Amino acid sequence: MLSRRWTSWILICVCVCCLSIGAEVALGHTPSEFGGFEPSPDSPEEFDWQLPRWVPRPVVPEENPMTAAKVELGRHLFYETRLSVTGDFSCASCHLQHLAFADGKTLPTGATGEMHPRNSMGLTNVGYNSVQTWANPLMQHLEQQLLVPLFGEEPVELGMAGKEVELLQTLQNDPDYQQRFKDVFGDENPVTIRNISLAIAAFERTLNSFDSPYDRYRYGGDASAISDAAKRGEVLFNSERLECFHCHSGLNFSDSTRHERSGFTEIAFHNTGLYNIDGNGAYPPNNTGVQEITQRDTDMGKFKAPTLRNIEVTAPYMHDGSVATLEEAIAHYAAGGRTIEEGSYAGVGSQNPLKSSFIIGFTLTNTERQDLMAFLQSLTDETFLTNPKLSSPYE
Amino acid sequence: MIGTMQKRQSGKLILVASTVLVGLVGLKAHPMPASAIESQTVTLQFEGMVADEPFVCGQAYDLGSPATTMTPLDFRFYVSQVALIDADGNEVPLILQQDGKWQHQDVALIDFEDKTGACTNGTVETRTEVIGSVPAGDYTGVKFTLGVPFNLNHVDSTLAPSPLNLTSMWWNWNFGYKFARIDLTPVMETVQATPDSSSAQEKQHAEEFNGFAIHLGSVGCQMDATQAPVVCSLPNRSEVVFTNFDPAEDVIVADLAALVSQTNLAENQADTALGCMSLPTDGDCAGIMQNLGLPFNDQPVREQIFFSVK
Repeated sequence: MLSRRWTSWILICVCVCCLSIGAEVALGHTPSEFGGFEPSPDSPEEFDWQLPRWVPRPVVPEENPMTAAKVELGRHLFYETRLSVTGDFSCASCHLQHLAFADGKTLPTGATGEMHPRNSMGLTNVGYNSVQTWANPLMQHLEQQLLVPLFGEEPVELGMAGKEVELLQTLQNDPDYQQRFKDVFGDENPVTIRNISLAIAAFERTLNSFDSPYDRYRYGGDASAISDAAKRGEVLFNSERLECFHCHSGLNFSDSTRHERSGFTEIAFHNTGLYNIDGNGAYPPNNTGVQEITQRDTDMGKFKAPTLRNIEVTAPYMHDGSVATLEEAIAHYAAGGRTIEEGSYAGVGSQNPLKSSFIIGFTLTNTERQDLMAFLQSLTDETFLTNPKLSSPYE
Repeated sequence: MIGTMQKRQSGKLILVASTVLVGLVGLKAHPMPASAIESQTVTLQFEGMVADEPFVCGQAYDLGSPATTMTPLDFRFYVSQVALIDADGNEVPLILQQDGKWQHQDVALIDFEDKTGACTNGTVETRTEVIGSVPAGDYTGVKFTLGVPFNLNHVDSTLAPSPLNLTSMWWNWNFGYKFARIDLTPVMETVQATPDSSSAQEKQHAEEFNGFAIHLGSVGCQMDATQAPVVCSLPNRSEVVFTNFDPAEDVIVADLAALVSQTNLAENQADTALGCMSLPTDGDCAGIMQNLGLPFNDQPVREQIFFSVK
């Protein structure tokens, strides 16, 4: 308990001191706009989030209010292969619903065949992320993030850089899209990059997963929703012995989470000792984490702790997909860092000088390991993985 | 004087307003009444060159050291904060014409590619000038920055006006713009697809020799919670000054050959981006940064040689 409070204080200090943020800025709106902690019931255009009552809503930027029509347009665009230079790639090519919008590959390949250095992240509850992607503190908004896969060139993903005129023409010439953009945005010329980004972001804010057996057990009052093993695993997960909960904390099992009740924007990145190439903490040069963005040596190997919801179906794991299974991931943390015996990335990760102080290693009995696995598996939300509202509109 | 001004090609309100502003600034320097200060339109000429040859998409050039035969994919850059320098050494800002296309606030796009040849991701239109106005006077020098100013570099690119809304110049993962985009691809006479050309060796060769992209921009940026970066540790904005320059006659040459004179374009440092993406960890940037007059790690900063006057 003491340690937990201590952690909270550190996080608060980090937020207040380093980020120098104001609560209003962080929230995008104040809780009072929602009438305290509950969404305003008399708002005429209240968006139906279809979330359990206990779940706080995601923070929605003022300039991109949620509407059902916008979400539906965003869903079409998310699955639209004409958003790629080759015409056969879409957001969904690397973000598959049945895999919690990850893709099951170690590293994905973009439309033109270029390999991405990072593993496709699952998109579970992306609307609750205070920061998007693996390791970019600049990337705090979905509207901005999706421009990277759409127009990015290092590497090429959808490959649309320099093709904006063609892209907009394609959508404009499609009567269905023409109508949808007009219905949602109503402007004279509603088919714009701006509106594409608003619509896709709105759809992404509906990729919400709070109906796992664990949710029904923990928040839904169903004591039998998860096994006794999973209940024991939950205790282990939240123990000071394993320390998992420090980074995989809160309702989204990530310490980079933000929602309508958040008083602060918490953004955290951690070096987990996955590599230690030179003995000074180096990670592979194409995956240096936050360091790539800030160019600060101390940010070497720092990555976001992603949500653990649906973690069972998002293998392989870590920013570079270098951990094949959940068992292997647990073994990495149990060892307090990964040791790579040979090759150009050889090194003793547990000795990484930049490693998070919570990666201290632990020993588990076989039963305990199974319990922890059962707990992690209880976070799999079949409703989310099969929800037709999140599926391709073209199938 | 007002009548003269109205006769000028640009009678736009914005220009008139800016001219008045320049007039007021000028008032401080020159002891004459504001009404007597006449504005003059200045067109700064730029030219894309490759050593002694004009830059043309589709053309092959021997570039770098040792030389590699390359053809361009792109050649565009932003200049900003343009000023003319008078005989007394005063810098007088050139107030850019706001044309809704090439120039916005104090930023102008220079675009040498015309979408022909391998420049397929470009635009048909080219642009080799910066147009603006200064108070009438004798100017003997010019100063400009290669790059987008901080206050415009980190705004929401989906809302930005032209020329800041060209997706080719967006640098979204760094939440900014490519200040310069100069992409080259090798001219390979021998690589002709044969029925069984997918041997591992050939494939590897093709991967190793993919070309060389130069994307100049600010890196090392940190953000606060208001969405925009608050500071970038490596702004990478190059300030260029020519003290012996006649705005009416002289041309500012951007020489691709000079830019890459120290660089082996056929090589790419392992595990780094193709070419130079402005990161200090990418040794492929060393010669380019030096030739742009920018600091790069601990190497000495020299005067830029990318731009020259003819």
